[in-house]
Amino acid sequence: VKSGLPRGFRDILPTEARELHAIERTLMNAFAQFGYVPLEPPTVEFAESAVTVDERRTVRFLDRDGRLLALRPDVTTAVARVVAQRYRAAESTLRLAYFTPIFREEASMGGSEREYDQAGVELIGDASLRADAEVIALLADALARCGLLGADIDIGHVGFVDGFLAELPLEARAAAAVAARSGDLVGTVALARDAGMSAPRIIALQRGLRHRSADLAAARGDAPASSQRALDTLDALRPLLEAAGVGDAIRFDLGYIPALPYYTGVVFQVTVADLGFPIATGGRYDGLLARFGADRAATGFGIAIPHLHQALVAAGWRTPAELPLLVLVPDTGDGTTTLRVAAALRRAGIAVAIGDVAEGAGQDVRRARVIDGAHVEYEGVVRAVDAVVAMLRPGVPR
Amino acid sequence: MRALRIALAQGTLLADTRLALAAAGLATDALAEGGRRLVVPSTDVEYVLARPGDVPTHVAHGAADVGIVGKDVLLETDADVLELVDLGYGRCRFVVAAPTGSVDRSLDEYRHLGSLEVATKYPGVAERHFQGRGMQVEIIKLSGSVELAPQVGLADWIVDLVSTGRTLRENRLSIVEEIATCTARFIANRVSYARDRDRIAALASKLERWAAR
Repeated sequence: VKSGLPRGFRDILPTEARELHAIERTLMNAFAQFGYVPLEPPTVEFAESAVTVDERRTVRFLDRDGRLLALRPDVTTAVARVVAQRYRAAESTLRLAYFTPIFREEASMGGSEREYDQAGVELIGDASLRADAEVIALLADALARCGLLGADIDIGHVGFVDGFLAELPLEARAAAAVAARSGDLVGTVALARDAGMSAPRIIALQRGLRHRSADLAAARGDAPASSQRALDTLDALRPLLEAAGVGDAIRFDLGYIPALPYYTGVVFQVTVADLGFPIATGGRYDGLLARFGADRAATGFGIAIPHLHQALVAAGWRTPAELPLLVLVPDTGDGTTTLRVAAALRRAGIAVAIGDVAEGAGQDVRRARVIDGAHVEYEGVVRAVDAVVAMLRPGVPR
Repeated sequence: MRALRIALAQGTLLADTRLALAAAGLATDALAEGGRRLVVPSTDVEYVLARPGDVPTHVAHGAADVGIVGKDVLLETDADVLELVDLGYGRCRFVVAAPTGSVDRSLDEYRHLGSLEVATKYPGVAERHFQGRGMQVEIIKLSGSVELAPQVGLADWIVDLVSTGRTLRENRLSIVEEIATCTARFIANRVSYARDRDRIAALASKLERWAAR
């Protein structure tokens, strides 16, 4: 029997799995506090539905019907499809949340996983700036509840750079936009210059791409009118974020250009020091749902759970304190006494494993030995079961 | 504040890179020739000396905040980094080359046989180029002396990096087509560029002024 695993897939062993479950509970509770309800799309979709991810990065295969399928490369696509199919008639706002594995094809030996958890929300059918502020505030709140400290939220607007490029001939405009999304800012500026962008505009574009500050005035200069409107939007967003209680963590970063082409407005990413990848990214994508036949405004974010987990562990985070696990060493009898004592302890809210545990998964594991139906030896002293419960659950009235 | 970590490509670019960094006001004495250290602390910054092909990987993963490496390497590795400044030096060209006088013959062969064999050290660049052209080619990955391949019948054409073109001429090869002109680039990790914008943007502006001198 072959005992390895396909490249980029791995076992999540109990200690890590417990931590991931704790993160999942915390995030889904935070999402629920803002009225977001869970959605669980299937693992497999038609490959042609996966429009938000480069096709070379989707994990694809044929089924017996000869249809080309893809393992879900992200959840936004699935949400867009669900909304277009199941909520076609809905006119008011949908708030959906998820925590689920996604699958990406990665280059061999690149140090990347092909399956990892992503959590996020999608807010469908609200085009207002208040909706943009809501998802940013929710993201900040959810990460803070997880215990993430020192995170920066960088907020940009795709309309800023688009405003400059809109003045170029169509072909140069498309090429410059592709370069900008791929991170080639040298190429973006060179293409704009070659296509005849004026010198003051070039200077304003370069200044904008380097602009990261709460104050946008310095980026206005010679920016075109539609770029100015993007800056107006960000200026209007600031008081909303302050009212939502997240004014301190935010920076306006006009050089933040997401890799995906579907964003249409306010975009954002969350970073921490000493981690080379963003923890979360998101923004407004008003054009995407129309591709599935439901023209609805939409905004949302996705959190890369491995990066969040990595940042939390690097900062010394551990799963929130739980009651200890009690390992009950049986008496010499036929087992009835041991089972009776274990049942009594569990009724009192104590987690009990009989015999031994090889994998404590990072829990606080204590030991007790069964003496008789009402007594165990715990910490070297024979005690009544009730007394042990009181020691393990201090402060809980019986 | 933590020192800004700068990944530098060892080899032919390093001499000009030292000039560029010195012009941008950074101390480069620690990068003196003949040093054996690969992580070199300096004033306010820390240099990491890596093989050119590894510099984009260091920066993409955030092991280094910024780096200086040739566009040729960026094209081949396709790493997710931000390209901030064209430094202008280390100029070279990615070209398609064929034995002198045989281009028509190989195109005729292509019509009959449906595929050309292309030898290269840069399979990523070669594959994307011919895909963009809509031509079917078999890429043959070699580790060096690619000019040899057409002479011994290993491949019809080559995709290679040339600076003066002398090696091509000496091996009786002519340029069929230019793919891209490449120069040294100042690159940054996406997160470092967000969080450390003041230092990185200031360095980019100084390097830009030096490159435009």
